[in-house]
Amino acid sequence: MLPDAKLSGALRYWAERWQGVLLSLVVVVATLWLALSGQLGLYIHPRYFVFTIVMAVIGLVLVGAGFARRRSFEVERTGRVATALTGVGVVLLVIMGVAMVVVPPTTLTSATATQREVNSGGLGTEDDADQAAALIGTGDFEQLSVREWVSLLAQSSDPGFYADKTAQVTGFVTPDTKDSENVFYVARFVVTCCAVDAQPIGVPVYLPGWQSEYEIDDWVQVTGRFDPSVSAAASDPLAITPVEILPVDQPKDPYVY
Amino acid sequence: MVLAVFVVRALSPAFVNDQLSDFQLPDRVQDTLTLAMSVIIESVPFVFLGILLSAVVQVWLPHGVLARHLPRNPILRRASISLLGMFFPVCECGNVPLARGFMVGGFTVSESITFLLAAPILNPITIITTHQAFGWDGHILVARLVGGFLIANVVGWLFSKHPDPQSLLTTRFAAACAVGSTSGHDHAHARESRFSQTTEIFIRETSVIMPALFIGSAVAALTQVFVPRSVLLALGSNPVWSVLAMMALAFIVAVCSNVDAFFVLSFGSTFLPGGIVAFLVFGALIDVKMLALMRTTFTSRTLVQITVVVGLMSAALGLLVNYVA
Repeated sequence: MLPDAKLSGALRYWAERWQGVLLSLVVVVATLWLALSGQLGLYIHPRYFVFTIVMAVIGLVLVGAGFARRRSFEVERTGRVATALTGVGVVLLVIMGVAMVVVPPTTLTSATATQREVNSGGLGTEDDADQAAALIGTGDFEQLSVREWVSLLAQSSDPGFYADKTAQVTGFVTPDTKDSENVFYVARFVVTCCAVDAQPIGVPVYLPGWQSEYEIDDWVQVTGRFDPSVSAAASDPLAITPVEILPVDQPKDPYVY
Repeated sequence: MVLAVFVVRALSPAFVNDQLSDFQLPDRVQDTLTLAMSVIIESVPFVFLGILLSAVVQVWLPHGVLARHLPRNPILRRASISLLGMFFPVCECGNVPLARGFMVGGFTVSESITFLLAAPILNPITIITTHQAFGWDGHILVARLVGGFLIANVVGWLFSKHPDPQSLLTTRFAAACAVGSTSGHDHAHARESRFSQTTEIFIRETSVIMPALFIGSAVAALTQVFVPRSVLLALGSNPVWSVLAMMALAFIVAVCSNVDAFFVLSFGSTFLPGGIVAFLVFGALIDVKMLALMRTTFTSRTLVQITVVVGLMSAALGLLVNYVA
C-alpha cells in the first residue's frame, strides 16, 4: 500500500470510528464540569440548565457505550485532496477539543462589547421599563441595576428627572467609542439564550483621564448622580458624575438575563 | 478514557484569576473560544435529543411502513411527506441518513428531496426554539413555516418532472444505500438489542454531526468577533442587502436549524425581519455542511440546481417580508 493510501485509510477510520464519540465526550465533560463548578451560566441562559445537564448525562452513557462497542465497517478510499482536507479538519477539531477542556472558562470581554456597540439593542423595552418604574417608585434608587438605568435613560434624558436620584451600579469598564478619553461605560452583557446573543448595555460615566486609573474589563461599583454630559462628543446626553468608584470582584452571575 | 478527560478538566485552571495561573489569551481569541463554546454547549443537547429520537424511530418502526400508508396522489403525498418532520424531530444533519433510508424503503427521489428540505423547518423542536427566540415578532415564525413548506414542495414538484430521476443520484449511492439501510433494518443488526442499535446510531450520527457543529461554531464565532458590527449594520437596514447578507451568513455559519433561531437573535435588532426570515429559511435547508452531507447522495449538478431554486425562493420570501409585511 502506498503511504498516501495508508494515511487516507487511517484518517477515514479515525473520523468514522472515534471523531463523534470523542467530540461528544469533550462536550459532555465540559458541560458537566461547568455545571458542577457553577459556571454553566457563563455560556448559556439558566432556563436551559436542567435540559442541558440531563442530555449531558444521557450523552455520557452513550459515549461510554460507544467506547465499549465493537464495530466493523468498510473504510472508503479517498483522493489526495479529500485526505488533506480531512487532515486539516482533524487538526482543527483536536485544537478546539483540547481548548474546550483546558482553557479556563470566562466571560466575554470588552472586545466584544465594543464590537457589538453598547446599548445598540438587547433590552425588551416594555417589561424592563415597567420594572424600572416600579423600582423608582420605592425611592430606593441604589436598588436599580445597570439594566434598569439603561432602560430609564432610553426613555428619558430629561436632567430634571434624575436630579435627586443617586445611582449605584456595578459592571465592567468599557470605553465610549465616541469619546474614549473622558467617558466610559459601566457595562453588563444581557444574555437571551447563550453567550452568542450577548448584547452589551452600559451606563455612561464622565471621568476625564479614567484610563490612567482603571483598566478596560476591570469590575467597578460607581456611585454618583446623572448630569448632562460635559463631553460634546459622547454617545449619550447624560452621564454619571462619579462620587465614588470602588474596584469590586466579578459577580458570580456576570451576565444579566 | 472518560475519567482521563474529567481529570484533565479538573486539573486545568478553573478560573481566570486562579492563583495557579497567569494564563490569559488575547481578548479576541478568548472571546472567539467563549462564543464557539457557547454555541456548542447550547446545541449539543438538541443534537443528542435528535439522535435519540431518530434512533427510537429507526429501531421501533417497521421497515417501509411509512411509504405504504401515505396518500397516492403525488402532490398530496409530497405535502404529507413534508410534514413527516413533525414526527422525526432531528436537525437537518440527521435528516440526511434518514432520507437515504426512506429512498431505500421505497420513496422516490423527489419525495426524499421534499422531506430533506421540509423536515429541518417543519419539526417541533425548530418551531419551539423559533417561537422562544422571536415569539410572534414581525411574522418571522409564520413566514419561516409557510416558506419552508412551499419551497420543499415546489422543489419536490420540479424534480418529480425529471425524466430520469436515478441520474440525480451519485453512482456510489448503491453502496451508500447499503450503509443507509444498516439503520437497524438489516439482518446482521436485527438480532442486536435496542440499546446496542441505539449506540451504533449514536456513533454514526455524532461522527458526522459533531465535526460539522464544531467547525460551524468556530466559523460563526470568528465572524462574530472579527467582522465589525458596523459593516453588518450598514447592510442590515437596506431591504435588499439585509436579505442577501443574511443568506450569505447562513451559508457560512451552518448552524443546525433547531438552534439557528437563537443564533440569529443577536442580529434581530440589526437586520430587517426579511433578512432574518431569509436566514432562517435558506440556512435551515442549504449551507456548507449540508451540501457536504447531501453530496454523499446527490450529484453536484443536482445540488447546484437545488441550491439555486431554494436560494431564489428564500430571497423572494425575504424581500416579500421586508416590503409587504
